[in-house]
Amino acid sequence: MSLIQCEGLSKSYGSKKALNNVSFSLEAGAPIALVGPNGAGKTTLFSLLCGYLSPSAGTVTLLGEAPNSPKLLGKIAALPQDAVLDPNLTIASQLAFFARLQGMNSQVAAKEALRVLTLVDLADVAAQKPPSLSHGMSKRVAIAQALIGSPQLVLLDEPTAGLDPANAKKVRELVKALSPTTTFMISSHNLDELEKLCDQVLYLDKGELSQSVSMRASTDSDYLTLTMQSCDSEKLQQEVAKLSGVVNISSKQTNVFIIQLDNEDKCEGENTLTSYDVEVALLSLFNAHKWQYKMLLKGRTLEETLFS
Amino acid sequence: MTNHPPSTFKNMLIIATFELRKFLFNTRGIIALIAFALIWGVLLIYPIQGASAMLLQPNIKDLIDSLFGVNTLNVLFEWPVAEMAVFWCFALYLFPMFSILIAADQFSSDKTRGTLRFLSIRTSRDSLLFGRFLGQILIQGLLILLTIIATIALALSRDSDLILQALSSGALVGLNLIIVILPFTAVMTLLSLYARTARQAMVLATILWTLVSLTILLLSNQSSVLAELQWLLPGAQLSDMLNTNGLNSLAFAPIPVLQTMAALLLGRIYMQRSSL
Repeated sequence: MSLIQCEGLSKSYGSKKALNNVSFSLEAGAPIALVGPNGAGKTTLFSLLCGYLSPSAGTVTLLGEAPNSPKLLGKIAALPQDAVLDPNLTIASQLAFFARLQGMNSQVAAKEALRVLTLVDLADVAAQKPPSLSHGMSKRVAIAQALIGSPQLVLLDEPTAGLDPANAKKVRELVKALSPTTTFMISSHNLDELEKLCDQVLYLDKGELSQSVSMRASTDSDYLTLTMQSCDSEKLQQEVAKLSGVVNISSKQTNVFIIQLDNEDKCEGENTLTSYDVEVALLSLFNAHKWQYKMLLKGRTLEETLFS
Repeated sequence: MTNHPPSTFKNMLIIATFELRKFLFNTRGIIALIAFALIWGVLLIYPIQGASAMLLQPNIKDLIDSLFGVNTLNVLFEWPVAEMAVFWCFALYLFPMFSILIAADQFSSDKTRGTLRFLSIRTSRDSLLFGRFLGQILIQGLLILLTIIATIALALSRDSDLILQALSSGALVGLNLIIVILPFTAVMTLLSLYARTARQAMVLATILWTLVSLTILLLSNQSSVLAELQWLLPGAQLSDMLNTNGLNSLAFAPIPVLQTMAALLLGRIYMQRSSL
């Protein structure tokens, strides 16, 4: 059974089509990324998956059930964009209330509220009311509520937007740590972040699903991404292009080079994952020219994969 | 951590009790409670105590008969406890008004700031709708209970032998008042689903009652059959209930109960179809 299945999903607001005939199927496992420019339909898709909105056309199922099905209650959770807790009640009482609605008794619910707040390093604000928190802290509390009861699927709409780098990193680490038991679907504009976390990437543009990329496939593909500290860019491109096994080298950013490899020359059973001829040649080249490299990445970055 | 989600009914009770706790244990609720206590304190000490003393005077019935007509308020003199009779006259009109004020923010603020999204992913929309409605009834039931206890205390301070009559009369008044406020609360449930703020819900309620009353008044001038449309509006029976007491007041119960069911049904349809 697919974790999420969408068939011809469309949503219109008046004459504007926010989502147009989107179809995909996703399995449980590593985090899934949802990428797209502003207004691409990401939040609309999230809202449809959570049952906040009804589709204008098409179907959507989560774990084989329609959104809002009683069977899904407690199995899926979400961090809705811009939703805030009741400003008049303490954070602990609201989170415990959510836990009670998921079937826990009062004592267990109170402990669960504290557990999820501890996960986001905010156990000390449990007795406070939401208005006393900073934007970043409110966001982390909202992430904490999505983790109550360890749901099977958690939908996070821009989880690190507005967080400082240290807390954004903590959220990423949290997602990574919980990934073996919970599948996360994350919408974000931060491609570096998604690249670190996700295997599957859905790219929405103007309400349509324009690409579905597997990061693993991207890593396995026949590319190397080279970031240099300083070098003679033209000279480096000329020298690298001469290396055996290199088909092409291009640069769209200063000191960042995409090297396309030729896998056909390799012996049977050998691929870019097991053979490092080009990498060794590159390091020898750097040594010969006293060039300092910053990073050598197998495959292309998510940004390069999506927008090249 | 796998938990079986509770039934709609159980979650409805959890939500209702949470609404009551929310009212009792947060600053805004406590301020509302203090304001309510002050208003009723003043009403009990001055108009209710004073008017009940008047009711006990032998010539006052003739005066009221001559002012309002023979059978308009005659039942007031049949009440076993005079304080409860005067309380009934005030409460019958004041509690519906309180209901509109107190129940105006069942959903509007939560919907506007997105808080409902945290809830709807954990519990059914039915449990949210009926739970919050029930929560408002619990809050108002508590307020009704407190005012009835205060009225009984007032009557007993005059004559402690009235204890049994005061308790039985108070119980029936309480039951009748809860039935009276049901449709007002249910209409506010519906309006607060649509409105973006509590204030907007109250404005909509004012417009609704004024416009519908005027429309019914105009239509009733056209035909006596159309005059029956008055029963659609919550509170239509209040003027008739004023001159009743005890079990006789319960004869009007089907009207508010049916109005409540209609308003909640509309609320349920709206809730199921609306975007959160």
